[in-house]
Amino acid sequence: MEPIIEARHLSHTYVDGQNQEMTALKDINLSIMPGEFIAIIGTNGSGKSTLARHFNALLTPTEGKCLVGGLDTSVEANLWPVRQTVGMVFQNPDNQIVAAIVEEDVAFGLENIGVPGPEIRPRVEAALETVGMTAYAKHAPHRLSGGQKQRIAIAGVLALEPKCIVFDEPTAMLDPKGRKDIVETVLKLNKEKQITIIYITHKMEEAILADRIIAMNQGHIEMEGTPKEVFTQVDRIRKLGLECPLAAEVANALQKGGHKLPPILTHEELCQALCPSK
Amino acid sequence: MSIEVDHISYTYMAHTSLENKALEDVSFRVDKGEFVALIGHTGSGKSTLAEHLNGLLHPDEGCVRVDGVDLKGKDRAAKEARGKVGMVFQYPEHQLFAETIYEDIAFGPRNQGKSPEEVDAAVRSAMAFVDLDYDVFASRSPFQLSGGQMRRVAIAGVVAMEPDYLIMDEPSAGLDPVSRDNIFSQLMKIFHKRQMGVILITHSMEEAAQYADRLLVMSGGKLHLDGPARDIFTHDRETLEKLSMDVPESVKLADELRQQGLSLKGTPLTEAELIRAIERAKGWKAC
Ligand SMILES: Nc1ncnc2c1ncn2[C@@H]1O[C@H](COP(=O)(O)OP(=O)(O)OP(=O)(O)O)[C@@H](O)[C@H]1O
Ligand SMILES: Nc1ncnc2c1ncn2[C@@H]1O[C@H](COP(=O)(O)OP(=O)(O)OP(=O)(O)O)[C@@H](O)[C@H]1O
Ligand SMILES: [Mg+2]
Ligand SMILES: [Mg+2]
Repeated sequence: MEPIIEARHLSHTYVDGQNQEMTALKDINLSIMPGEFIAIIGTNGSGKSTLARHFNALLTPTEGKCLVGGLDTSVEANLWPVRQTVGMVFQNPDNQIVAAIVEEDVAFGLENIGVPGPEIRPRVEAALETVGMTAYAKHAPHRLSGGQKQRIAIAGVLALEPKCIVFDEPTAMLDPKGRKDIVETVLKLNKEKQITIIYITHKMEEAILADRIIAMNQGHIEMEGTPKEVFTQVDRIRKLGLECPLAAEVANALQKGGHKLPPILTHEELCQALCPSK
Repeated sequence: MSIEVDHISYTYMAHTSLENKALEDVSFRVDKGEFVALIGHTGSGKSTLAEHLNGLLHPDEGCVRVDGVDLKGKDRAAKEARGKVGMVFQYPEHQLFAETIYEDIAFGPRNQGKSPEEVDAAVRSAMAFVDLDYDVFASRSPFQLSGGQMRRVAIAGVVAMEPDYLIMDEPSAGLDPVSRDNIFSQLMKIFHKRQMGVILITHSMEEAAQYADRLLVMSGGKLHLDGPARDIFTHDRETLEKLSMDVPESVKLADELRQQGLSLKGTPLTEAELIRAIERAKGWKAC
């Protein structure tokens, strides 16, 4: 199978208003396979959003290459097929809503890329169905909760039928219920629709749902592996300015107190280790 | 010395088709020296309420007083009272405006009539407060930053003004875990030293549990619960869940451990409390 996204020696240097250079990514090499669920973690300024913006050609490498579905994102003619393949969902739901009625908002992107009229309605309906917002098709987005607005934003991206969706801290502004809704929606897109997911987050309880975790540090990939491989290295994760999920942190502290425990990531695993009778 | 919110109501775009009653008869008081967390579902009215506390919005009914002075006034006393309240806005990009990060943070202290030396000292200490390296960031534009860096500049700008009351609207959204912990531990230091009144708006139950003594819970523009954080997280779990809220992760994990037969005591509000409770339940040690 071909990777859906590939970074080859990808570097990115920003030049700001005063002509100061700022190298945000250095020599990134990465392959993402179709259907994978990747979480990207890393401290503020480590380059997560800069990397993600390369995946749908909002940015292009200043050195090296970024390939999406085998197409070089730096080539002008590839812009549309690349954006068709990779959709983006951002942090603030309010900034992503454009229309006064939910179904119009979801249709907006389709109209923009010139999808013929009769095709629009079924695609909008299917997208709303997937995010569980069918009942709200005629509602005004500004009256919805943050989690609902964020699901509308996801529906807008879904209607374009991308093979891959990049989420840049999609739950940062949401309440606990909204956060659960989005996490469930993302898992559903990945497991049922086989959509490739790239999920940037500072919340480690969300990151452990991924197949693979990429930890960035100062513009490069510092750690890579399954949630278990990454989050059982508690001290190393801390040194990167990150933290582990609660159960892993608790297990680590108990270990340091001299009590032997197996590698632990989830609540269930901690329960099993501490209450072996059951 | 306190912020008093006295039966306030507020409606956006009254008498139009978009009319939206965002606050309905809300009352509470926060004293200097208190650290309160304000939680509630998205759209419950938290930011609208916050903007009443520094006089950015004025209530349709009721009033807000800071140290006894109604913020609605046009006189000098009202202006001074508004100046006692520092506000970190929910969207940092709405708060930033200057060409460099230095100028952005210096604006407040300069406006307060501080000397250039004092302003410089205030900027440096505020940047240290939020973990932004002075040599790297002072001359950079606040608009060409990562999300979390922008948030830190916005926090620094408010901290530099040393307000008596500090309102923070989701200050940790977008901060990485270690900067978040560092900024909160700095904040707790100045909170204790200066005995500020702090209102922290957050969607993180862990943060509310760890730092606040008291919890205000909003829903649909009304204040639903007001009480000690430990009591609410112990006794009102069902209500919280109904209001789209939750209990901290450590409380959930403790419950699961109890269900599996570990005789764990109390409501551990933080990771540290949970670790101690497990050690005690296992008889490992209790120091
Ligand atoms: N438009 C820009 N111009 C110049 N430098 C920028 C610009 N945007 C970001 N940077 C810099 O590039 C680096 C990487 O930023 P990026 O936004 O990718 O970080 P991030 O990992 O997404 O951080 P966060 O967790 O805060 O969102 C940072 O040091 C940032 O200051
Ligand atoms: N400028 C505005 N004009 C009209 N309605 C508004 C405006 N700002 C907020 N509202 C509405 O007022 C209600 C309360 O909004 P507010 O922003 O205070 O909620 P919040 O609790 O801060 O939510 P969040 O957790 O999403 O930040 C919502 O229904 C919102 O849509
Ligand atoms: Mg980012
Ligand atoms: Mg708000």
